[in-house]
Amino acid sequence: MTAPIVELSHVTKRFGDFTAVSDLSFSLAKGSILGFLGPNGAGKTTTLRMMLGIFPPDEGTIRMLGRDVAQVRDRIGYLPEERGLYRRMRADAAIAYIATLKGMNRAAALARARVLLADFGLGDFAQVRIEGLSKGMAQKVQVLAAIAHDPEFVILDEPFSGLDPVNQSELEAFIRRLAGEGKTILFSTHTMQHAERLCDRLIVLAKGRKVFEGTLDEARGLLPRRARIGADADLNFLAAVPGVEQATPPSPGQPWWTLDLKEGDDGRALLAACFERSVPLTHFDVAPPGLHEVFVSLVGPHSEAA
Amino acid sequence: MRHVYLIARQEFVKYVTRRGFLLSILMFPLWIMIVIFVPQWTGGGQSGPAPHTFTVVDRTGGTYRDAVVAALARWNKDRPPAERVWRYTPAPNFLVTASEAHFANAVRAAFGEADENDWMGRRRIDTVLLVPADFGHDSHVTAQIWSRDDRQNGGFRAFLSGALTGALQLQAIHRYAPQLNDPSILDVSVDLEARNPEHAAPADTVIASSVPIALAVILFVVSVMNSSVLLQGVVEEKSTRMIEVLLSCATPREITAGKLIGVIAVALTTLLIWALVLFVLMALASHGTVTLVFASLKAIASIDTLPFLLIFFLCGLLIYGSLFLAIGSMAASLADAQSLLGPAMLILMLPNVMIAGVMHDPNGPFATALTWIPLYTPFFMMLRIASHPPLWQLWGAVALALTTTALMIVWTGRVFAKHVLTTERPPALGALLRGLLKRT
Repeated sequence: MTAPIVELSHVTKRFGDFTAVSDLSFSLAKGSILGFLGPNGAGKTTTLRMMLGIFPPDEGTIRMLGRDVAQVRDRIGYLPEERGLYRRMRADAAIAYIATLKGMNRAAALARARVLLADFGLGDFAQVRIEGLSKGMAQKVQVLAAIAHDPEFVILDEPFSGLDPVNQSELEAFIRRLAGEGKTILFSTHTMQHAERLCDRLIVLAKGRKVFEGTLDEARGLLPRRARIGADADLNFLAAVPGVEQATPPSPGQPWWTLDLKEGDDGRALLAACFERSVPLTHFDVAPPGLHEVFVSLVGPHSEAA
Repeated sequence: MRHVYLIARQEFVKYVTRRGFLLSILMFPLWIMIVIFVPQWTGGGQSGPAPHTFTVVDRTGGTYRDAVVAALARWNKDRPPAERVWRYTPAPNFLVTASEAHFANAVRAAFGEADENDWMGRRRIDTVLLVPADFGHDSHVTAQIWSRDDRQNGGFRAFLSGALTGALQLQAIHRYAPQLNDPSILDVSVDLEARNPEHAAPADTVIASSVPIALAVILFVVSVMNSSVLLQGVVEEKSTRMIEVLLSCATPREITAGKLIGVIAVALTTLLIWALVLFVLMALASHGTVTLVFASLKAIASIDTLPFLLIFFLCGLLIYGSLFLAIGSMAASLADAQSLLGPAMLILMLPNVMIAGVMHDPNGPFATALTWIPLYTPFFMMLRIASHPPLWQLWGAVALALTTTALMIVWTGRVFAKHVLTTERPPALGALLRGLLKRT
């Protein structure tokens, strides 16, 4: 088994009396995509900054690419949450500048920047200043600046922020391409759909503590399955069916009843009960909960972490 | 070192390509030109050079004084009133009767009395021409010209020399014309020795003493101009999160060092361009400028304290640059930075208020005491250096300036590392000082 690319062991970080990150441990294998989820103030950015060597942890250890982060800065790429670029710099120079700071020769960095810009459909904007680009374009330039030096590990903090759906799809494809090239990616996000589509593994933080770590399926397994049944009749009787936790009538915009199933139940009893009463159905499905619901249950106001 | 170089280079390029930088580069020399030439232009070309009043002390009896006065009358007769700038006034009695040993004191007294300006605000005596008693005898053809300002008008000196030469030749003709066997006796040219009642300094010395003072003032201007840009740059980097990207590539110490070196490069470039632009503008306006500039450069190169000047100048830039960088890293916004900048500017302005006091007695207790205030050491020592302060003070100031610079850089690195990523209000002074002294 290969050594993990990232290894955090019992990491704690305090700012005065406030504990931003508490006893956090996790590791990340080469070539995987890890989703780093959590509400505002959960300690995501502090953890990312510790992984980048910007802050030292107060307790615990962090190993990046098998070494201390100070020794491997040049092998890590970083995209901050907002535009981390000089507004008056040209797009190609902005990418090349970060790449040179990461160890590339300036001429090679500039050439690489232009190739990447052309690949991303921004070839015509290579000489345009950042302040002259749209937000989506600037975000793409920022992403390219994070990976121009061909890092082994890439940290993306809210990479989809401010992008329209088309650009979000392009960026998703790009992240998959990076992972396909063997790069290890960690990205933090508030948008669960991106995490569902992209991540091999997820870590959810709340109030500085890890409240979940695992695959998407494992996350969905935290909540019972849910059935949705469409019918013109009153389906209140389904609440009494064995295996049903709760029945919720249709709400505006949702023309079906929602039935929370008990753990392990597959919902077949619901279908049988409807046939027994000869209720004509317009819709029936049983699906695992969405990541959004899992997230809310983990970090929402009624969660254990609250 | 590579990170430091790359960040310094980026800082340099970022600042020198700003429109504001280019404007300031051109504005300062233009401002100097305006100060110099506008008073002339506002007179519609009528005012010409400033009036220059002189007197003659003729120890030979008055022949040469009369000759100079007559030559002046002839000179003025052919010129419009605006060009009649040389004015003769009879010498006060104490000057005429002063012995050679006390002549410098007498001249100083004459200049002192004349400091009570006339009704037009002009000084009464600017120059004293002393014609010694043996002038014209035994090949002695040297007169003395005593002036408040060693950089007298070259034309005026040539005029006096010409007037005395003519008078001397006339004397010779009267004396020898009946039996003139040696016509070469008429082939004489009068020399004028420049004298100053304070220290009888040649013009080069004046340039040499002016350079440190000019550099001290320029240090302030350049420091404030470039350091405030540095501060704004850091605040902007914080607001765009660019600082996070930099911190993911380099250590706080590398970033602060790169930024400070970048600012020094900008400051030196500013000085160089100012000098060049000013030189070109003045050369276009006056043909004598080129000669004056080369004389100045020669004088500057010959200053034995030049290495000290450079050390103090660079230390000053680094100290003030560090101060502004620390403020920028503590401020969450430009508004925060402005509120911190006010007290910082007061600290920086203080030495300027004290220039007159220091220059009055550069080696006195007041100037000496100010020199040992670490933040001001480079500034005040540059002001004092032309007055030859004691060697122990000079070396002590170098040690203090270097130590202060090193401490400021280290402390700025700590402040930067601790506060540059915070979005809170700047820390209280007590908390800041505790943070500076705590090794992390």
